Amino acid sequence: MTVALMACMFIATATLVYVFYLPGTLYLGPRKTRLSFLRERRETVYENLRDLSFEFKAGKFPDADYQAMKTSLEEEAAAVLSEIAHLEEVARNSAAGNKKGARV
Amino acid sequence: MPLIGSFALLLALALTAYSFLAGILALVREGPSSARLSETARRAGIASFAIVFLAAAVLVTAAFQDNFSIAYIFHHSNRDLPAPYKFAVLWSGQEGSLLFWSLLLSAYGLVLRLRYKTDPRLFAHASVVIAAVQVFFLLLLNFAAHPFAIMQGSLPADGSGLNPLLQYPEMVIHPPMLYLGYVGFTVPFAFALAALIMRYPGEKWIHITRRWTMVTWGLLTCGIFLVMHWAYSVLGWGGYWGWDPVENASFLPWLTGTAFLHSVMMQEKRGMLKTWNMWLIFSTFMLSIFGTFLTRSGVVSSVHAFAQSSIGDWFVAFLGVIFVTCIFFYWKNRSHLLSEHRLESLVSRESSFLFNNLLLLVACFTVLWGTLFPVLSEWVQGTRVTVGPPFFNRVNIPVALLLLLLTAVGPLLAWRRTSAESLKRNFRFPALGALVVAAVLVAFGMRPWKDVSYFYSLMTIALAVMVALTVISEFVRGGRVISGHTGQNLLASMVQLTRRNTRRYGGYIVHFGVIVVVIGFAGSAFNQDKEQEMGFGDKLTIGSYTLVCQSYTQDDNPNYGSEWAVMNVFKGGKQIATLNPERRFYKASQQTSTMPSIRSSVSNDLYVVYEGQNPDTGRPIIRAHLNPLVMWIWVGVWIMIVGTVVAMIPNTAPVRVMAPARVQPAPAGAGD
Repeated sequence: MTVALMACMFIATATLVYVFYLPGTLYLGPRKTRLSFLRERRETVYENLRDLSFEFKAGKFPDADYQAMKTSLEEEAAAVLSEIAHLEEVARNSAAGNKKGARV
Repeated sequence: MPLIGSFALLLALALTAYSFLAGILALVREGPSSARLSETARRAGIASFAIVFLAAAVLVTAAFQDNFSIAYIFHHSNRDLPAPYKFAVLWSGQEGSLLFWSLLLSAYGLVLRLRYKTDPRLFAHASVVIAAVQVFFLLLLNFAAHPFAIMQGSLPADGSGLNPLLQYPEMVIHPPMLYLGYVGFTVPFAFALAALIMRYPGEKWIHITRRWTMVTWGLLTCGIFLVMHWAYSVLGWGGYWGWDPVENASFLPWLTGTAFLHSVMMQEKRGMLKTWNMWLIFSTFMLSIFGTFLTRSGVVSSVHAFAQSSIGDWFVAFLGVIFVTCIFFYWKNRSHLLSEHRLESLVSRESSFLFNNLLLLVACFTVLWGTLFPVLSEWVQGTRVTVGPPFFNRVNIPVALLLLLLTAVGPLLAWRRTSAESLKRNFRFPALGALVVAAVLVAFGMRPWKDVSYFYSLMTIALAVMVALTVISEFVRGGRVISGHTGQNLLASMVQLTRRNTRRYGGYIVHFGVIVVVIGFAGSAFNQDKEQEMGFGDKLTIGSYTLVCQSYTQDDNPNYGSEWAVMNVFKGGKQIATLNPERRFYKASQQTSTMPSIRSSVSNDLYVVYEGQNPDTGRPIIRAHLNPLVMWIWVGVWIMIVGTVVAMIPNTAPVRVMAPARVQPAPAGAGD
């Protein structure tokens, strides 16, 4: 019984040390933003375009279908790219503003 | 020993509760201190795995040491129980299996918490959800179903023994598989709820959980088929699936999980069906908990349910809490789940996924309704009305046939819309193949108009051929494109094709496995059985086989006494096998069980059961079943497993990103 109690105390102490003793710096990681989401979305649309192109080469669709689907995907990609361009510009302007403010 | 086990359970509860509460606090508060709090919550979650593992190790050690001072060991083991079954004692009874649930959940939580650097904030949210589920199971273990409860009174000399039905090699692996599947759905659920709570931008959480979901689905699939194989090999009724409530309980999350695996592709590819997918994964998790509740509460009677207890109320309350939590966060953040695109045409890949989902949900609702009907009827009318296999088959067989049709059609449809020309181009070959096979089967004597089960069999085989041709055409066409570019032979090109898009082509391999399985199911329409008393030299003829009784023998070992028949099997006048159907009497539990003897071949299984002796005549009774195509089921499962593994392998050759030539950025400010 005493051995068992001592074992329990040892386990509890070791656990508490592991949980609450935090040496060094902690990894926080970047925050997910709308811009990072759009970049992921861009990759997905490109992947969809590649899949479409591959399936067309495999002979799954007639040319008219392929062109219509390709146009539609390209329009989707254009919308994503324009939003990325806009957000990057906003981010650049904001960074430039901060620099100016810091100099003043 | 019991003291350490009990202490470990209490410590695990404290750690998990801390992980949950500190995790929430860290997420709610902003500032540098919250990062340290979050880290302690993560570490408490990791430590809880070690402590739950310790509790499980203590219980298994107690089983090997025949420590009958622990009530659980007394009720589920005995001194002469073979070693592998002593290991299986951990999941053979209620308290142990709940501990096992908890152990698996903490193991999944461990992996998740160790991989937190992928996206610390998303993982911190998911970790809190997992901790909440773990708190429930540890509360159960500490206060409702304690595995280390001590025996009252004098110490018994031997245990009551393990249920004889569980003393079968597959029992050592089938519950872990099933539980890994059940428990595993907690991970995609946790990520989905986390993404909803934090209004996570984009679908990256789906990418993160994709492999978890596939592993879980694969394990649940293995678990379900192991249950079927165990039922076939041990229960002695000649079948593998009887729509038993506990079988159904494992099937329900599989159905919604399968629907999720398909429809989630629409969210990844086109940002559609976000609300639908969220609720599919919520439902899948709730059905996993519901399955555990059915198996463990004793609310329904089943050959697979080995527990009767009052923990059902705990599960009902927990299911209520999960449902309210899901509803609350869905309602609060529903605007985050708006679709980015609409369904453009009814003839498209999207609509085939949608119909596939609807059919799977119809099957799920039917199975749920049939499973709960006895409980509901007792609740409403005061009499328990059970529904049998005919009810389930009447709805689920047509649904399964429509699903097969969609499995054939779906991969050939284009995203967004498919033209008539495209339909004609892609379906000519598979549809023609299906028609030819159906005509050949009729020509060889299959008469679908004589019985509805024959009609279903014919349709199943024809549609299975259609799916097979679809799968083959997808591989061949893709392989040809690669072969054209690289100059490799077609087979090497198809391998490369699969390695370039493992998820898609692994999925096709799974589809191929599914059709092999359903062809096996189709064989059940032609099952035969025969029963007769057989003395020495007596003959029993079934199909093309003749069984001749050679002798009856008895044996005895410390665990059980057995009696078996020696039956010579003849085909075309030539002896091809000897079968030994057996009956066992387990000494510790004082229970009898049958061990059928099976001769499997590609075309059929000869399944022989020794039913015991006729009390009036004293002559042994032998029952023989001839079950066509059963082996196809087990082979099909292996193909499904291979497909699932292939789908989980990362793509080897990520294709270069090419900028689409016609894309011109729209004027700035077009986005939000």
